[in-house]
Amino acid sequence: MKTKLILTALTSLAAGALYASDVPPVGSAAPDFSAPDANGKTQSLAEYKGKYVVLEWFNPECPFVKKHYGSDNMQKLQAEYTGKGVVWLTIDSNAPGTEGSISADQAKKIMDSWKTKQTALLLDPESKVAKLYGAKNTPNMVIIGPDGKIVYEGAIDSKATPNPADIPSSTNYVKAALDEALAGKPVSNTQTRPYGCSVKYKSS
Amino acid sequence: MRASLLCGAVRTMIILRMPSLRQLSIAACAVLLAHTAAGQTYQGRELVKASLLADTSAVVPGKPFTVGLLLRMAPGWHTYWKYSGDAGLPTEIKWNLPPGWKVGEIQWPIPLKTIDPGDILTYGYQDEVLLIQEVTPPAKIAESSMKLSAQTDWLVCEKICIPGNANLVLELPTSTLAEPKNTDLFARYRRLLPQKFPDAKTASTTWSHAGNDLDFKISSEQIANYRAIDFFPLPEGNTVAGHPSIESRTANEISFKIPIESTDRSLSSMPGLIVFAEHENGNDRTALEIGPTQVTAAPLIAQPSRGLATFLFFGFIGGFILNLMPCVLPVISLKIFGFIKQSGESRAKIFHSGLAFTAGIFAWFIALALLLIALKSAGRDVTWGGFQFTNAYFVLTLSVIVLVFALNLFGVFEISLPPSLSRGMLSTAERKDHLGSFFQGVFATVLATPCTAPFLGTALGFAFTQSPLVILSMFVAVAAGMSAPYFLLSAQPAWMRFLPQPGPWMVHVKQFMGFLLLATLLFLLYVLGAQRGLDGAIWASCFLLIIALACWMKGAFIVPTASGLKRAIACGLMLVLLVAGGLYFIGNKFQSSKIDVAQNTSGGDWQPFTPERLQSEREQGHAVFVDFTAAWCLTCKFNEKTVLENSEVRDAFQRHGVVKMKADWTNGDSVITKLLQQFGRPGVPLYVLYPGKSQEPIVFPELLTKNVLLDKLETITVASR
Repeated sequence: MKTKLILTALTSLAAGALYASDVPPVGSAAPDFSAPDANGKTQSLAEYKGKYVVLEWFNPECPFVKKHYGSDNMQKLQAEYTGKGVVWLTIDSNAPGTEGSISADQAKKIMDSWKTKQTALLLDPESKVAKLYGAKNTPNMVIIGPDGKIVYEGAIDSKATPNPADIPSSTNYVKAALDEALAGKPVSNTQTRPYGCSVKYKSS
Repeated sequence: MRASLLCGAVRTMIILRMPSLRQLSIAACAVLLAHTAAGQTYQGRELVKASLLADTSAVVPGKPFTVGLLLRMAPGWHTYWKYSGDAGLPTEIKWNLPPGWKVGEIQWPIPLKTIDPGDILTYGYQDEVLLIQEVTPPAKIAESSMKLSAQTDWLVCEKICIPGNANLVLELPTSTLAEPKNTDLFARYRRLLPQKFPDAKTASTTWSHAGNDLDFKISSEQIANYRAIDFFPLPEGNTVAGHPSIESRTANEISFKIPIESTDRSLSSMPGLIVFAEHENGNDRTALEIGPTQVTAAPLIAQPSRGLATFLFFGFIGGFILNLMPCVLPVISLKIFGFIKQSGESRAKIFHSGLAFTAGIFAWFIALALLLIALKSAGRDVTWGGFQFTNAYFVLTLSVIVLVFALNLFGVFEISLPPSLSRGMLSTAERKDHLGSFFQGVFATVLATPCTAPFLGTALGFAFTQSPLVILSMFVAVAAGMSAPYFLLSAQPAWMRFLPQPGPWMVHVKQFMGFLLLATLLFLLYVLGAQRGLDGAIWASCFLLIIALACWMKGAFIVPTASGLKRAIACGLMLVLLVAGGLYFIGNKFQSSKIDVAQNTSGGDWQPFTPERLQSEREQGHAVFVDFTAAWCLTCKFNEKTVLENSEVRDAFQRHGVVKMKADWTNGDSVITKLLQQFGRPGVPLYVLYPGKSQEPIVFPELLTKNVLLDKLETITVASR
């Protein structure tokens, strides 16, 4: 199983070497990855096997990301679900020199001042993780089940705007999917079209 | 427009380099002399200047006009299309209009495609864009000037993205007269609007599945003319579309692969734009829009993707059916009469006559095909199924032929070939029979042309987009179909035993046939009347009288028993009569007879069709039914009497508020010809229902039935509610 996972990861890596690969479909095995977090600790997906994992693509300068952090919407979600045993990994996949690319120090500062509640903020300056998941947007959300399979991928909510005033009237897809999954029910909306800024990949 | 002062509150979110939760909003008031505009600034730099413009100097009550949101972006920055692609956000316009005012959907110019690092593909606009909308004011406006306001939101991106918004006001005086304004700007962006996908004729599409991908094939002759062809998808709902890529390309066919990354993989098609350009993102880009209903609507229209064999088959069947058409009926009778006469003769003779008749049919169709190919290559607009009938001189010539044949049947004169020709070409009487049969074959086909039977219409509609070889095979197929029964009967004369024995009754039948031909002549005169008015028909009749007189002279004086001098005098007199009559009645009188086409169309509650009228009715949200018809089209007349003027149908039209328009093609109007071609039809009849503004038109079959029409009227109204 593990070798298969690694193989999948390797092939995906090869495919994604030049550009963002296709999005792995819902229901397929989530590609494994490892990346350093803001504290320098290496985090890998494999170590969270058996738990629900949320991946959240991040760019502190993107108006769509700020929509959800500025309104405390994202922090609330993070607090609620990490409290329920869900692992929440925020990933900054922006290439160095591009808007939204941050150092470990900057990451810590942001987490501090924004009062974020995720399990860890991963730094992915070579966009490796983003390529594995075909992530093109910030925010882009992926939920992985305890069996290592993708449960949900897409947008955070139903209103594709940068306006925080739209949050109360929108459907939060991540919340809906997690609530269903944690209650042992099948997830009804497994895929939506993500919206936001683009992930800033390195120019080749 | 009056200079107006506006304070559009422009908030621009400032993105701070140092992460901060505080979003600064700056309110900026732009004061401008000419237009109501607002600017979005970021770090002291203006990124977007937004303004509202109208294409008119004033609002005329009840008269729709066009407004546009003009966004001018700083170099390198772009805003987005209605589908932004992998990232970004479409610009939004929310109008705050007084009651009774209506605004149409945003008409988006064809966007530019951008690929950023990481294969991030987006669709948007650089430098400048005008987003056009139609505004319909109410029929009565009390105010002397109107303030129309809109809340606009956009996202402008370079390396980073910054949302911007503005509350803009457009102030226009109210007047009964208005002058066009900003014409160049609106024209420039109207040119960049995608065109509705033409039906069948110009291009056709096929969708299929290959795993998780949609395969999308476009066949069109246009393809050869462009170097860069692309597909810009418009995925609906939560469908996540990957990047379309070109799978294969030939001279007139291109296929795209569109990966579907979301779970709705049962998708059968996807709306979008087929974009044609010399170079990618070229300013010359044009596009055909594939609507959401394009694929579902297609089965109603005959699809040309059936392949050549199927169409040749349809051509054959269509040709066969031509035999049953009312305008061929007299000729059929003629021919059956010929068979009866021949059934007393030898089998070989009958077979040869059958062959000659068949050859006549083939010759005519091949000649027609060659003529069409020649005209097509000469680049002229030609459609069949009556293109000859849109020409008054063709109808006149046909009238002369029919009259001459009728007089011949009545026994006014006998057709005898000149002895020299007889000697050269036909050494025996038997041979002469064959030539007769040959020309009867030709004649039968000439009369058949205006009867576009349903199958034939489809088949020929297809043929016209094709190469000369295909056109030729198509016509040959039609010829084969039409001649099949005669050929079979002559090859298997045993089947003719069911036909009555010849006898003296045949003279009466022959004369009776003459009356059938005269009836056909009446129909032709009716067509001439529709084309050239009563005067035209009368002058044509005068000429026909001269022809009849000449025929009588031929029968009475130019006979072998008459002396050479007598014959010469009669011949000379005949010639003088014909030339003088032709010059005066046709060259002078008939030539100058003209008719106002509106007379043909302004019947009852039908409006004469113009593209502008159709456009304006549709923009006002009205459903429109267009009857493409012609005076000479019997199928059209039949449908109009039995279906369109049926009280139940009239009630349904009225109940659903459908505007009825008649497009009269009697004289071959070129605008209508173009429309017919867009619908893949070579001729009339054509019935089209334009349900709502943004819905695809519904095309009805040529043989219209009450139920089909009523059904469609019901569903459309329900759908648009």
